[in-house]
Amino acid sequence: MIGFLLRRIVTMAVSLLIISALVFFIIKLPPGDFLSNQIAELRAQGEGASAEKAAFLIKEYGLDSPIWEQYLVWLGAWPGPNGFSGLLQGDWGWSFEYERPVREVIGDALWLTLAVNLAAVIFVHVVAIPIAIYSATRQYSFGDYAATLFGYIGLAMPSFLLALILLFYSNRWFGISIGGLYDPDFYGAPWDWPKVKSLLSHLVVPTVVIGLGGTAAMIRRMRANLLDELNKQYYVTAKAKGMPPTRALLKYPFRMSLNPFIADIGNLLPHLVSGSVLVSLVLSLPTVGPILLAALLKQDQYLAGFILLFTACLTVFGMLISDLMLAWLDPRIRLGRRSR
Amino acid sequence: MIEHPVRLLAALLSLTLIAILNPLHASPSVAAFKETPFFADRVARGDLPPIGERLPAKPLVVDLEARGRKIGIQGGDVISIVARARDIRYISANGYARLVGYDQDFMLKPDILEAIDEQDERIFTFHIRPGHRWSDGAPFTAEDFRFFWQDVANNPALMPSGPPEFMLVNGKPPRFEVIDPLTVRYSWDQPNPRFLPQLANPLDPFIYRPAHYLKQFHASFADEAKLNDLARSKKLKSWAGLYNRIDSMNEVSDPDLPTLQPWRLVTSPPANRFYFERNPFYHRVDTAGQQLPYIDRVIFDVAAAGLMAAKANAGEADLLFRGLNMSDIPILKEGEQAKGYHTLLWRNARGSELALFPNLNCSDPVFRKLNRDPRFRRALSLGIDRETLNMALLFGLGAEGNNTVLAGSPLYREEFRTTNAQFNPDEANRLLDEIGLNRIYEDGLRQLPDGRNLEITVELDGDNMVMADGLTLIAEFWRDLGIRLIVKPQDRAILNNRTYSGQTIMSASHGLDNAIPTPIMPPTELAPMWQDNLSWPKWGQYVETRGSSGEPIDIPAAQELARLYAEWLATSDKEIQTRVWLQMLMNHAENQWSIGTVAGALHPIVVKDGLANVPQNAFYSWLPTSLIGIYRSDEFFWTIPERRGAPKQ
Repeated sequence: MIGFLLRRIVTMAVSLLIISALVFFIIKLPPGDFLSNQIAELRAQGEGASAEKAAFLIKEYGLDSPIWEQYLVWLGAWPGPNGFSGLLQGDWGWSFEYERPVREVIGDALWLTLAVNLAAVIFVHVVAIPIAIYSATRQYSFGDYAATLFGYIGLAMPSFLLALILLFYSNRWFGISIGGLYDPDFYGAPWDWPKVKSLLSHLVVPTVVIGLGGTAAMIRRMRANLLDELNKQYYVTAKAKGMPPTRALLKYPFRMSLNPFIADIGNLLPHLVSGSVLVSLVLSLPTVGPILLAALLKQDQYLAGFILLFTACLTVFGMLISDLMLAWLDPRIRLGRRSR
Repeated sequence: MIEHPVRLLAALLSLTLIAILNPLHASPSVAAFKETPFFADRVARGDLPPIGERLPAKPLVVDLEARGRKIGIQGGDVISIVARARDIRYISANGYARLVGYDQDFMLKPDILEAIDEQDERIFTFHIRPGHRWSDGAPFTAEDFRFFWQDVANNPALMPSGPPEFMLVNGKPPRFEVIDPLTVRYSWDQPNPRFLPQLANPLDPFIYRPAHYLKQFHASFADEAKLNDLARSKKLKSWAGLYNRIDSMNEVSDPDLPTLQPWRLVTSPPANRFYFERNPFYHRVDTAGQQLPYIDRVIFDVAAAGLMAAKANAGEADLLFRGLNMSDIPILKEGEQAKGYHTLLWRNARGSELALFPNLNCSDPVFRKLNRDPRFRRALSLGIDRETLNMALLFGLGAEGNNTVLAGSPLYREEFRTTNAQFNPDEANRLLDEIGLNRIYEDGLRQLPDGRNLEITVELDGDNMVMADGLTLIAEFWRDLGIRLIVKPQDRAILNNRTYSGQTIMSASHGLDNAIPTPIMPPTELAPMWQDNLSWPKWGQYVETRGSSGEPIDIPAAQELARLYAEWLATSDKEIQTRVWLQMLMNHAENQWSIGTVAGALHPIVVKDGLANVPQNAFYSWLPTSLIGIYRSDEFFWTIPERRGAPKQ
């Protein structure tokens, strides 16, 4: 077990290193950099910022050094203007667009992102599991067909479109302000009850929109998993021996059908941060998604790089956690040995 | 004393008007100043001096009634929306306090300055208002000008390229003198007619800076070692970078940076809602003795660009214009009744909503030769059915014709818009035949001299779907000429780089940015001066880099444009400037350097009911209206008492 852990941690470190290099170089691929974009924008507004001034700023920000050097400085493996200060030293870098350390830019957004996505994940599970159990145990009934129909609609509906429609009507019918996570009047206000209430009412639309696709997918998968198990002999035996049906269902086949979801934790963790980018954009949520998109468009390299790398970290850790949990939950899985 | 506006007007308007418009004659008097209710508490507590001491000794008295506006009542908040936090900086365009600024008739008037003495556009003497103060209460004096000129503009560490380009005449900077603490003088040997118009720009060049505040970050006045340490902690190499970041007058991102604008920032970024509060030391008052602005606080909420129209429709904005466009009008109109706002329809002041730019510096030798043939460009223009475009893109409300100035500019002439811009496919086909672009089949494509089909890829910024629609229509019209047009939307940065290096054959974009110029505004957009102009990027490069890259201008008609521009720069005579403008515009109409289609799109302005003094009909543009700047948003006020109520604090 310990050997397995160590090996996994080494591979994780190596893959993160490779990911960080890839992320950085891909961000740098498009022509120009943050400052040249900035200067093009100024010129478009009639400020004749000269090429010389651009050169001065590019030098001041260290954007004139070779890409590999910028990368190593960002990583903390090469001395920058402030000595060794990069990701390895816990310095997340500087955002040009916000003129602030990345840590400050991401800070609040990260918590709100977690809140939104966690709400969506809970919504998915709370809604999907009972429906899936219902439709699996009553296969081809009217309820099953209804759930299937709902599932397909949920899968097929473009989430941004649904977001706009819900937004419009929640404003018309319930007077909830459009976009954002709470009413504009509460920006910068302390967290008191009215603000929390406003947050909760604004969470409904994003939760439903972000969760709908996931809910539909989960219903379909859970139903299929359960159907596989329901015909197996252990379940028939349990029922034959007079176990109450609900208890029999929840104790055996239900547990078995959860396996794929535990394997899915690896995907779930990064999703908590970077999921729902499109919906966040449409709904104007102050989450990480819109920040990431803007940073990529503007080539705000350290900000974009950090968010992407952070997501990668979560993926890698999520995978590790799900492997460990599977090993713990499912006695059929053995670690590190080739099973025969 | 105020010689400049007089001279301007003399060239353009009758003498009777001068007496009305010249501030010297019209300056109304104020009996007594009234304390601003918003500050009453602070004044009572002694945190702020009373109104009489806050205003300059000679404030700018605004005669609203003479301009057909109403005298307002102070108080209230105006909520607007920005697409991203950085966009709050446009308040400096919309607030529009300038040393000299345009009024609603595009005349230059002293604003922050009390007066300007001007001699032959060479010697400019600025008179600062006695007792004028920065928003933090520190006096605004000649030192603020001196600091910028000597310690910033001419400091090689801060500005390695030297003073801003508009302050150089033939590469030579002005002589700068501080005459007394309230008077400074800039003098050049040759005229510099660009100087004052540049000061009225929406992006203020800020030739004055709050010296008392900025000196603490300047190595000549503070400990350089400490500043360098501070800079390194912010990932910068030296104090110069740090100084440049702090001295960001146009960014409006630092509540501590003093300002002379009507409102000052009070929220530190990052935030999702930004508050601006009235500047207690603002220099304008109305004739009733009330200090402007009328609105106490301006509030910006950050919301996705795509939600702006929806938020306006839900009544969440009191005043909104930036980020809306013509296609939003139906949804804006729909919510008017329910949410108590109205949508004003202003006109975009662009030369053309969609213009085609044949790249004269195209690196494909065949197309280069073709693009440079004026007959070819004329044929392309004659082959466009602008009436259909107008119906399809602008509900038939636009002005059809060339990419040129709009009616409303004193430089407008009918022929600038119509020459070579009639729909005449027969003539277009005749011209194309004459050039030798033959068709093999009657209805087929024409052939290039090297045997390729005549296929023109028109590249454009992918963000603008309306333009792409327009191009699809033009492709239909051109098919009758035997030309295939291929639309290629892409990222703007990539498009620019492709154009600069000559890889594009033709690109599409907006026409002239300033289509309501007066003769005193520099005709820079009409001459090959900048590489941003998609018709002649390499010529522009050549001029900008003084010959170190790009290509010299090698078409006589374009050399004529450069010559005319130089003539405009070298003169202080308004009649010559007018003549130069007209010649350049005619040159454009004849040569079709860019092919215009329709102009004058409507721009929706959402205004909450009860917000008064907002013009019903006006031009909307970056230059010269400075968004809504020249319409003086500091004079807008709430007629509804509830909206003026004490702000929540």
